[in-house]
Amino acid sequence: MALDIQAIRSDFPILNRILPNGKQLVYFDNAATSQKPQCVIDAMTNFYENYNSNAHRANHTLADEASAALENARTQISDFFGAKPENLIYTSGATEAINLVSFGWARNNLNEDDVIVVTEMEHHADIVPWQELSKEKGVEVRYVPINIETFVLDMEAFEVAVEGASLVCVTHTSNVLGIRNPIEKIIDLSKKSGAAVLIDCAQGAPHEKIEFEHLGADFIAISAHKMAGPTGIGCLLTTSERIQQMKPFMTGGSIIKKVTIDGTIFKDGHEMFETGTPRIAEAIGWGAAVEWLDQFEMKDIHEHIHNIASLAGDEMRSIPGIKIYGDPNNKDSAGAISFLHETIQSQDLAILLDEGGFAVRTGHHCAQPLMDALGVPSTNRASFWIYNTKQEVEAFVKHLRYICERFS
Amino acid sequence: MTNNWPENLRKIIEEFKDCFDSMERYELLFEYAKKNPNSLSMEEWNEENQVLGCQSRAHVECMLDENGNFLLKTGADAQIVQGLMAITAIAVNGLSSFEVSKLSPSYVEEMGLKSSLTPSRANGFLNMFRRVISEAEILAEA
Repeated sequence: MALDIQAIRSDFPILNRILPNGKQLVYFDNAATSQKPQCVIDAMTNFYENYNSNAHRANHTLADEASAALENARTQISDFFGAKPENLIYTSGATEAINLVSFGWARNNLNEDDVIVVTEMEHHADIVPWQELSKEKGVEVRYVPINIETFVLDMEAFEVAVEGASLVCVTHTSNVLGIRNPIEKIIDLSKKSGAAVLIDCAQGAPHEKIEFEHLGADFIAISAHKMAGPTGIGCLLTTSERIQQMKPFMTGGSIIKKVTIDGTIFKDGHEMFETGTPRIAEAIGWGAAVEWLDQFEMKDIHEHIHNIASLAGDEMRSIPGIKIYGDPNNKDSAGAISFLHETIQSQDLAILLDEGGFAVRTGHHCAQPLMDALGVPSTNRASFWIYNTKQEVEAFVKHLRYICERFS
Repeated sequence: MTNNWPENLRKIIEEFKDCFDSMERYELLFEYAKKNPNSLSMEEWNEENQVLGCQSRAHVECMLDENGNFLLKTGADAQIVQGLMAITAIAVNGLSSFEVSKLSPSYVEEMGLKSSLTPSRANGFLNMFRRVISEAEILAEA
C-alpha cells in the first residue's frame, strides 16, 4: 500500500526546519541517524514531566510506573523484532551490543583454535572488537571480500571462510553501499558449519521487518536511533541458550542477587547484563517509535525508499564526474548512495551541498577496510528514509548538478 | 589580534563581503586555493607536517624566512581548507611570529564563512590554524 508521505512528514517537526542560511532542510543523512516523530518526543517528555524515577529500585508510585514502562517497552520492542522479551538485552546501541557478544560470550567460549568470520564491508563496530579479541585470545579473524564491480559480498569466498568457523559476524546492510547481504543464506551456511551467527542490523532494522526467531541467528545487534527512536539505546537480541553461555562484561548494581565481601551472585538471564540505572526514557521513546512504525508495513517503507533511491541513482549518474559506489537500483538496496566527484573533494562537496540545505554524510563512514577495498579514502553518502520525497531528490540532484558545473 | 587584521587580510575580507551569496564566496575561496602563494606540493606532504584529526588530508609547515619573519606553507586535498589556509598564509607571511601567535581565526566569520568554523567542520581548517598558532608561539619564544 502506498504510504501517505505528507502525513508521515507532519509527524516530524524537524523537517520544517529552516537552516541559518535561510534554506529549507533536506535531510539525507538517515543512515547516520533518523529523525524522530512527535510521539517519540512526547513519550520521553511525558516520562520526565510525570513519572521520572529510577526503575526496579523502590516501592513508591513513580518507581512502579517507571519500572512498568521500562518493561512494557521491552515487550513492545521484542514483539516488533519477533523475539522473546527475556531475550532482549538493552544496550547503548548496536556497538555495545556487539561488544557484549565479544566480551560476554566470545571471551568465555572461544580460544586460539577458533575462527571468526567477518566481512570487508563491516562497520568498525563489527571489526575492532574481533581484532581486539584476536590479540587477546589468539582467535583467527577471516575477512570475506566484496566484489568491487558489483559491490556485493563474495559468497564463494564466504563459503570457504566459514569452514571451521566458530562465529560469523556480518552486517545485514552495508552503511556505505546500502547493499543488503543474503543473511538467510549466510545464517544457513554458518549453522551447517557449526558457527554461531551475529547479524549487525543497525542499518537493516529501519528498512526491513527483522524477525529474530524466524531468522535463526544467535545474536542480533540493533540501534534505536536509526529507526525513529532516541539516541543512547539499542539492544542485543539473543537466545536463552546463548545467554546461559554469557558472562556480564560490565558489572555493578542492578544485576546482582547478593554481594558480600567474599563475592557476588549475579541474577539470571538478561538481568545479568543491564547494570546501572537503565535508559528508562530512551526505552520508552524506542517503544513509542516501534509503535509508530508498526502502523506501516515495513515492505511499504522499503519500497518507498527503494523508489526514491533508484530515482536519485539514475539522476546522479547523469551528472558528469559523479561516480556511484553501490547499486541503488538493486531491489534489496536500502537507500544509501555513496558517491564521489572526480575533482571536487568529498568534504568540499558536502559543505557545498549543505549550502543548499542538503544534509549528507562525508568521510569513511567507520568502514575504512571497505574504503581500502574501493580504493578511496572517503565518500559522500546520501541516505533516505520514510519521510523523504521525490521532490527532495529532484532538488538535491539539481543542486548537485549546479555544484559540479560551477566548481569542477 | 581581533578586528585589527593585517592589511592583506583586510582587503581579502572586503573582497568576500562583496560577494553576492555563499556560493560566490566559496567560488572565490576555490580561486584562493589555486593561487596559494606558499603551497606545499604533495611530494612535500609527510607524517611530520600532517595535521592529525582532519577528515581531509592537511599539512602545515611553519618557519622563518631570511628576514626572520614568519613563513607559512600549507597543503590540503580539500579546496575549502586549502583556500582558507592560502588566505591565512597571505595574512601571516611577513609578520613576526609573536604577531601571528595572537591571530584569531574569526576573520573566517567576517568573510561570511562562519560554518567553516563549526566543530564538525573544524576538522580541517581549525585544526590547521591551531597548529599554526602553536608553532608561531614556539618560534616566538625561540
